Amino acid sequence: MPSIDISNVTKRYGTETALDGLSLSVERGEIYGFLGPNGAGKSTTINLLLDFIRPTTGEVRVFDLDAQADSLEIRQRTGILPEGAELYERLTGRQHVEFAIESKGADDDPDELIERVGLSPDAAAKKAGGYSKGMAQRLTFATALVGEPDLLILDEPSTGLDPNGARRMREIIREENERGATVFFSSHVLGQVEAVCDRVGILRDGDLITEDTVEGLRDSMPDQTRLRVTLDRIPDDSDAALAAVEAIDGVSSVTPEGRSLVVACEDRAKTEVLHVVEEYGVTVEDFETDESSLEDLFVAYTTGADGGREVVR
Amino acid sequence: MSAITVAKKDFRDAVRSRLLLGLTALFALFTVGGAALASWASGLFSEGGGESTIGLIFALQTPAGFLVPVIALIVGYGAIAGERETGSLKFLLGLPHRRRDVVLGKVLGRTGVVAVSILIGFAVGLIGLVAFVGEVSPVDYLAFTLVTVAFGFVYVCLGVGISAMTRSTTKAAVGAIALVVLFKALWGILSQVLLYAIEGTFLPETFPGWYLVFNSITPDAAYGSAIGFVLRESQFTSAGAYESQGLIESVPLVAEPWFGFVILAVWALLPLALGLWGFGRADL
Repeated sequence: MPSIDISNVTKRYGTETALDGLSLSVERGEIYGFLGPNGAGKSTTINLLLDFIRPTTGEVRVFDLDAQADSLEIRQRTGILPEGAELYERLTGRQHVEFAIESKGADDDPDELIERVGLSPDAAAKKAGGYSKGMAQRLTFATALVGEPDLLILDEPSTGLDPNGARRMREIIREENERGATVFFSSHVLGQVEAVCDRVGILRDGDLITEDTVEGLRDSMPDQTRLRVTLDRIPDDSDAALAAVEAIDGVSSVTPEGRSLVVACEDRAKTEVLHVVEEYGVTVEDFETDESSLEDLFVAYTTGADGGREVVR
Repeated sequence: MSAITVAKKDFRDAVRSRLLLGLTALFALFTVGGAALASWASGLFSEGGGESTIGLIFALQTPAGFLVPVIALIVGYGAIAGERETGSLKFLLGLPHRRRDVVLGKVLGRTGVVAVSILIGFAVGLIGLVAFVGEVSPVDYLAFTLVTVAFGFVYVCLGVGISAMTRSTTKAAVGAIALVVLFKALWGILSQVLLYAIEGTFLPETFPGWYLVFNSITPDAAYGSAIGFVLRESQFTSAGAYESQGLIESVPLVAEPWFGFVILAVWALLPLALGLWGFGRADL
């Protein structure tokens, strides 16, 4: 049974289409990264899951319950970190956590949750009106963890967090997932998603343009590895050397850059490339591989029009 | 239960507002002023005992009738629209609360805040009364206080109702100000205009029933009627003055003192129902 099941959902505001026939499903126990540039429709999707807004057409189900009719039960079993959530400026951090505990009828220890997200007891005793963005984000995350939720919905969770805070959040996401929670989180920063997600969906202009595992997305890249080989000198017969490298199985392109060669090839061809180059009487001084990051893929998917997609396919 | 949880949280948050502190202080100032005025008046007419309480209440009703709606609307108008504007509503509704529990919780929490303000103001007034007049009828004073809290509740319902129907605090504020202008100024002018249009004069020998009805159905008039009922004094009701001067033939049902409670209930439930309906359907 999927934890989240969105089928053919369209959401229009007047003449503007925020989501266009979106279908998406997240399996139980999965960590799903929901990627896309700002304005792609990520928050709209999350708002539909929580019944903050209603779909124009299509159906949204969470835990196999109707997102509108059974919203209360869904929210009882879900922990939510809304995007850029403002807090109650006259209440303390601890009071926020206590309120979440009381609202859910849970029996968590507020101090434990506050400590877990890395908020100091001193900070928790202060009014939230004076919190920095990062502190507010930690506090909201603490309230999302109340009651051991079956599903965590995190909208841009790393907003305002320093690298330590972001790492702590990733650790907690993994811990929660090991406990059995499904995690659905949106981001426009790929690094966040790449590090923890089982599966990634990329949204653009209200449309899911690809959905795959992180490995699967990598595999779909045409130039999986970029090998840069630095030689002591340019070989005498450089044309023949280039042709020989190009002829190796798995090599897709070779570009000379002064004393270096940039070789786009599959992983398995790397050693063969080095062997062949040395046969032309030169010494390899240095070489580095540059694993094409998902960032390239993300950029290719989300910028430009169809040209971007051509690059990847 | 959920509404109570929201109400408790909301009360804690809203009661710490500095603006409320200022308004409460202002209100207390007016009640002491009212007590001084009542003591001066009772000295003038050498009344005493229970009569002074009635005199004080009469002196207090005017400032309370103006300040309580203002305080309640200021406390209420941002209750929901404000949370929608800042986004904290997504934190609140991300937790398992129904939208109607949020609206009801807000009404309860903010009524609590307004009640605290009224109780402080009237406690100061009571001290003033004891100091200046020396004798009080606690039962009458308590009854007056409770009716005033009910009146505050009605205006909180109006404020929160408006707040639930819009996503902008600016619009909610405009709505709240429009209400005050309508009930405090326009309604009276409108009644005069209607009187002249229908009867052809501003001063008929006897005032028609519809005129009394029209002047009794604002929440402010209903507040006066309700005080008149609990204190058994017709001078607080809008019909009372006409009745005592023989300017009306009979008091219509709607202008009867006890009917003030019915009118107050309608003014509480109507905006609440509209707010619940609008907020329940809205995209946040």
